[in-house]
Amino acid sequence: MNATLAIAGATFGEAIRKRILMVILLAALVIILISPAFEPFAGRGQRTLILSFGFGIIQLAGTFIAIIMCTGLIPTEIERRTIYTILSKPVQRWNFVVGKYLGAVSTLAFVYVMMGMVFMIVSRISLGEFDPKIAQGLIMFFFQSSLLAAVTLFFSTFVSPLVNYFLSGGVFLMGNLMSSFLETIQRNPEVTPLTRIPIQILTVILPNFANFNIQNPIINPEQVLTDEFAYLVQTVLYAIVYIVLLLVASVLVFNQREM
Amino acid sequence: MSEYAIKINNLTKRYSGLWSQQPVDAVKNLNLEVHRGEIFGFLGPNGAGKTTTIKVLLGIIYPTSGEAYVLGRPAGDPQNHYKISYLPENPYFYDYMTGREILHFYARLFGIPEPERSRRVDALLDRVGLSRAANQPLRTYSKGMLQRIGLAQCLINDPELLILDEPTAGLDPIAHIDIRDLILELRSQGKTLFISSHQLSDVEIVCDRVAILNKGELVRMGKLEDLLSGGHVEMIAEKVPETVLEPIRQLGGRPSLHDGRLIVEQPDDGSIDRVIDLVRAHGGHIISVKPYRRTLEDLFVETIQGGRR
Ligand SMILES: Nc1ncnc2c1ncn2[C@@H]1O[C@H](COP(=O)(O)OP(=O)(O)OP(=O)(O)O)[C@@H](O)[C@H]1O
Ligand SMILES: [Mg+2]
Repeated sequence: MNATLAIAGATFGEAIRKRILMVILLAALVIILISPAFEPFAGRGQRTLILSFGFGIIQLAGTFIAIIMCTGLIPTEIERRTIYTILSKPVQRWNFVVGKYLGAVSTLAFVYVMMGMVFMIVSRISLGEFDPKIAQGLIMFFFQSSLLAAVTLFFSTFVSPLVNYFLSGGVFLMGNLMSSFLETIQRNPEVTPLTRIPIQILTVILPNFANFNIQNPIINPEQVLTDEFAYLVQTVLYAIVYIVLLLVASVLVFNQREM
Repeated sequence: MSEYAIKINNLTKRYSGLWSQQPVDAVKNLNLEVHRGEIFGFLGPNGAGKTTTIKVLLGIIYPTSGEAYVLGRPAGDPQNHYKISYLPENPYFYDYMTGREILHFYARLFGIPEPERSRRVDALLDRVGLSRAANQPLRTYSKGMLQRIGLAQCLINDPELLILDEPTAGLDPIAHIDIRDLILELRSQGKTLFISSHQLSDVEIVCDRVAILNKGELVRMGKLEDLLSGGHVEMIAEKVPETVLEPIRQLGGRPSLHDGRLIVEQPDDGSIDRVIDLVRAHGGHIISVKPYRRTLEDLFVETIQGGRR
């Protein structure tokens, strides 16, 4: 455990010094800070503007940071040969993979805390109220990014970073759209089972990223989530189970890997 | 406890080429034993398969066939890694960390707890002469300083076996001597050292045994004295008549005579005494007698060129 945590710590230390990640974080923070300045354009009302703007930026930044950080997590270690001194210590490959992932998730936590704090301060000041649901939305996004990070890490054990950008980006988009696509198809009687079943299978296999997008009911309080608490717990559990499965798969692939 | 620090049986490692590339046998049917407590030189030109063999020993890559044992356990067994350490060629470390932080990092990989960890790190920084630079980030370190940090991380677990891949590559002569002294000091503490190199001057002095690898195949292995024996002695004499030539040839020498000046290349087997007697008995006048020991460099060049023929 000590070794895993040491690797996680080193990964975090390196990630928060990575310029591209910090530029994205900084840009997101600046945009959230200046979002109240767009008030004059707010047709649908100030609340909608500030909240949807903030949620959108945070999700975008979290997504990019997760993918950019995790594509390089393992390939960079191999390329510059830091992995050799690590694996020649009493560190098993699963320690390494899990340590890298925990480091990535700590980085995401740091990024979300920074963005979340600024977002909540901005909305408190400009809306005059503090809505604890904002925190719920951010937590869901954090789990969404953490799941995406696990997807990217998994791909990084066997594809190059460039390919990984497209693969992870593709899985993220599909995972966001598949469930509503499937609903549409199921409502359409003309779709044959031959088309429907593969899509159904794909929807089950791909991580369902749409579950985490709970910003709409927060932005528009008239939409109500039924049994909200159960839904949140269920979604978080879904993320954790899926992440564990991806980590197990990553370790299995990485164990076979030659460097 | 196994008597061997390293035992390699019939090891072959094939890199299956990607796409159009041919598969490469980086190591072919290698058999090797390294005894505990010795300094073993693992020599060969670029691309000979030295690093590949080392990676197999560490479990970073897997053998295509054959097997390797380290400290009596199969290569890659996690238990081994408490007792061995490795310095890669041209090591690179997380360069945002300071010298002290990186050593703490490696110590944590062994689960060494505080305050023991700090004690060891400080002692090692002192030992490799980096105490003053300990709080500078590694990206400000010179190549020699990085190599010393590399050696320090090798010693953090007080290992029984050290595997050093090109430990002196790219270092200046003074740094060479420092590293050589450290290697000797480690041997006197009873540690086993497995040192890969394609440079010879440093290794020559310290290795007990060497193996020479070329194109993945072992071409020579043995005690240094044995491999280096068979040098020659050169004698120069004047006023020598032609009648000595034949007896010298019979003693195994290679004489050449011009205008009474004789140059003899005699094997280094004591027969030079008889040659001197002969020359003097024929009225010759000895100018010089000079031994030429074979160097490891010579052996290396002979062996590799022999292998290429
Ligand atoms: N990952 C790899 N994939 C394919 N071929 C490889 C790989 N690593 C090494 N090789 C090939 O295996 C052979 C042996 O390489 P190796 O690195 O073991 O040599 P070396 O003796 O350490 O050489 P050097 O003195 O240059 O470090 C070379 O022909 C090299 O091209
Ligand atoms: Mg090498």
